[in-house]
Amino acid sequence: MWFPEWALRSPGSLPAEPRQAIDDGGRVVAVSPAAFAAGIRLGMRRGEAEAVCPNVETIERDPGAEMIAFESVAAAVETLIPRIEVTVPGLLFVPVSGAVAYYGGEAPLVDRVVKEIDDATGGGFRIGLASGPFAAKHAAALATGEPPVLIVEDDADFLASLDIGALGTEELVATFRWLGITTLGELARLPRGAITSRFGAIGLTAHRLASGPDREVVARTIPVDLTIEERFEPPLADMEQVGFIARAMASRLVEGLAAVGAAPYRVTVEAEAADGSIRSRTWSSADPLDDGAIADRMRWQLRAWVEGPGVGVRGGLAALRIEPADLSGGGRQLSLGENARRDIATQRALAATQAIVGIDGLLNAQPQGGRDPADRVSWHRWGEDAPAPQRDPAAPWIGGVPSPSPVLVPPEPQRFTIEWDTGMPVRARLGSRWVPVLSWAGPWRRLGRWWQGEESADRWQIVTSAGAFLCEVRDGETWLIGIYD
Amino acid sequence: MKEVASRESQVASPERGTLIAHGLSRTALGSQLNGLAPLPALRAGLPQEGGAKTRDSLPTLLPGQVASLVGPPGYGLTRLGLAMLAEHSGPVAYVDVRGWFNPLAAWEVGIDPDRLHVVKCDDILRWSRAAAALLEGVEAVFAEVPGGVRDAAIRKLGALARARRAVLYLRPLRGSLPAGVAQLSLESQAVSWDGADRGHGSIAVRRSVVTASGKSMRGTTRTIEMEDDGTDAVLVVSRVGAAQPRVATG
Repeated sequence: MWFPEWALRSPGSLPAEPRQAIDDGGRVVAVSPAAFAAGIRLGMRRGEAEAVCPNVETIERDPGAEMIAFESVAAAVETLIPRIEVTVPGLLFVPVSGAVAYYGGEAPLVDRVVKEIDDATGGGFRIGLASGPFAAKHAAALATGEPPVLIVEDDADFLASLDIGALGTEELVATFRWLGITTLGELARLPRGAITSRFGAIGLTAHRLASGPDREVVARTIPVDLTIEERFEPPLADMEQVGFIARAMASRLVEGLAAVGAAPYRVTVEAEAADGSIRSRTWSSADPLDDGAIADRMRWQLRAWVEGPGVGVRGGLAALRIEPADLSGGGRQLSLGENARRDIATQRALAATQAIVGIDGLLNAQPQGGRDPADRVSWHRWGEDAPAPQRDPAAPWIGGVPSPSPVLVPPEPQRFTIEWDTGMPVRARLGSRWVPVLSWAGPWRRLGRWWQGEESADRWQIVTSAGAFLCEVRDGETWLIGIYD
Repeated sequence: MKEVASRESQVASPERGTLIAHGLSRTALGSQLNGLAPLPALRAGLPQEGGAKTRDSLPTLLPGQVASLVGPPGYGLTRLGLAMLAEHSGPVAYVDVRGWFNPLAAWEVGIDPDRLHVVKCDDILRWSRAAAALLEGVEAVFAEVPGGVRDAAIRKLGALARARRAVLYLRPLRGSLPAGVAQLSLESQAVSWDGADRGHGSIAVRRSVVTASGKSMRGTTRTIEMEDDGTDAVLVVSRVGAAQPRVATG
């Protein structure tokens, strides 16, 4: 859907008298039909245009204002078909494959849209219906009738007849013309590989557009209003009361965000005093803020405003707003089966645990390379980023202890008593009793890092009737270094 | 003609079943789905990959239930507990009292490193407070129980697990738990290892015999034989000698 003269609609509908819009460079970017009839063309300089048509009304382009005006059109279309893409003010792509089926065909759908948009804007639009945005835009440009609508059945067929200039890239179009390629159809018939090797990515894009298959429409996300506001009548003077309200507001904010799978990293607290003055401050955190943390920050901030230097909050607090200012959400992409609410509860539970057992008591581990089970684990404190592994876990670690790994690994080797008979283990002492050795694996000679003062040792897996143990024999002494529990 | 087609499909289906079974092995699927384990019920229904043994599921706990794993170290109870922990898709925690726990084994049974939190705590008073704090927000907690913890503290943890719908696995380091806390009690009976010989090879497959009792076994005491090849889930080989439920007669 295209409104070619959207820039001219300032403030309301299109005027009958000639009008043109110019950009910063003083060139004409939009002309009304009357001005077009008088001979003004796009890309003319302002003076040139005014020479051709002296009574033309000139307005300066203001994309911001245009977008604000266009929002009503976008909203009107959105009531009929969701997931629209607004490219520039005046140009709207609407994916219609679902809507066509819903409204019972292309013609009824177009009728509905035309009616809706006519009510909202008063006409001046063109509609093209095609499989891709590029073809649709050119269909809209070529549409005829009242209202101008063109429904393209076959994109490739339609595009083949278009002039090469439709691509819009000046240098490329000039080169193609020079090569004797004058229509998109001729370009599409060339092998894609040849175009890509000669013109690179831009050539590939041109070829893709010319041959029909196009990109998907990128839908605009429907923004969720996440600002939480509370107004007080009469204004609040008691900061204790504000504390409770802050807590409730923070919970509402976190719940609203959890519904869209986000957590705030920054929150802007805004307080409006009874005299109308507004003070605002942004708080940020490396971890997502939860409701308790937000409420605390709101309270701190209000106390700072009320009791700290400056004008304070004159006449009491009339309104309080909190706005999540940064939902960048690094790592906030929920995976399948993840639950945002549970995630917050987990973070809170782990923080409470860390408060009890101390900062070194709550740990996470990441795999790293190594030969011993203990070497293969890289520990870090909960809440800190995992360090890069010192040793590559994917590298071959010759002499490593084979899987399955022992579950229990003492931090220091423990003395372990084994009775040997001609170099073969016979029985092992577990606590106060002796258990027979049923089978064993080893010895595996393990060369120590002698340059670090480490001795060589022999590794044994000892299997008894009470389980399997990983042992090390060093200088005739046996040490327990793992239990396969 | 129709008959032939149906017979063909019958012949084809076991092969497909095996493929599915391979595809659903937890380590493969778990890494793709970020720790979302196949449902135990689903695994129970999977056909056996060769051999006449019937693959059965581990005893499972519902949210809010408590399991106890009682036995001396070496009988494989920690590993069994970790395998049960791996069935949960959310964050899990291990409370390490002795400081001996090595997460390598947990990764081998399919627990994603990112969702395993290890709490090191050897103080009895702090132990119960830390376990209680974990139950508030972690889906499943495996806790070694230090000797000397009061029964009331353990009962309180059981009640908290029920209230928060978290699963709690308790591994007493000394003695056993107070009666009535655990809905599922697993007690080790015997363990043997395959793979090592008189110096050759290395230990590979553990067979262990465990008795399971408690409310979640519907009053029966069952002896379960399990096979653990160290890389995938613990496999229940057979359920032998299920004792009759004690029901009053006459």
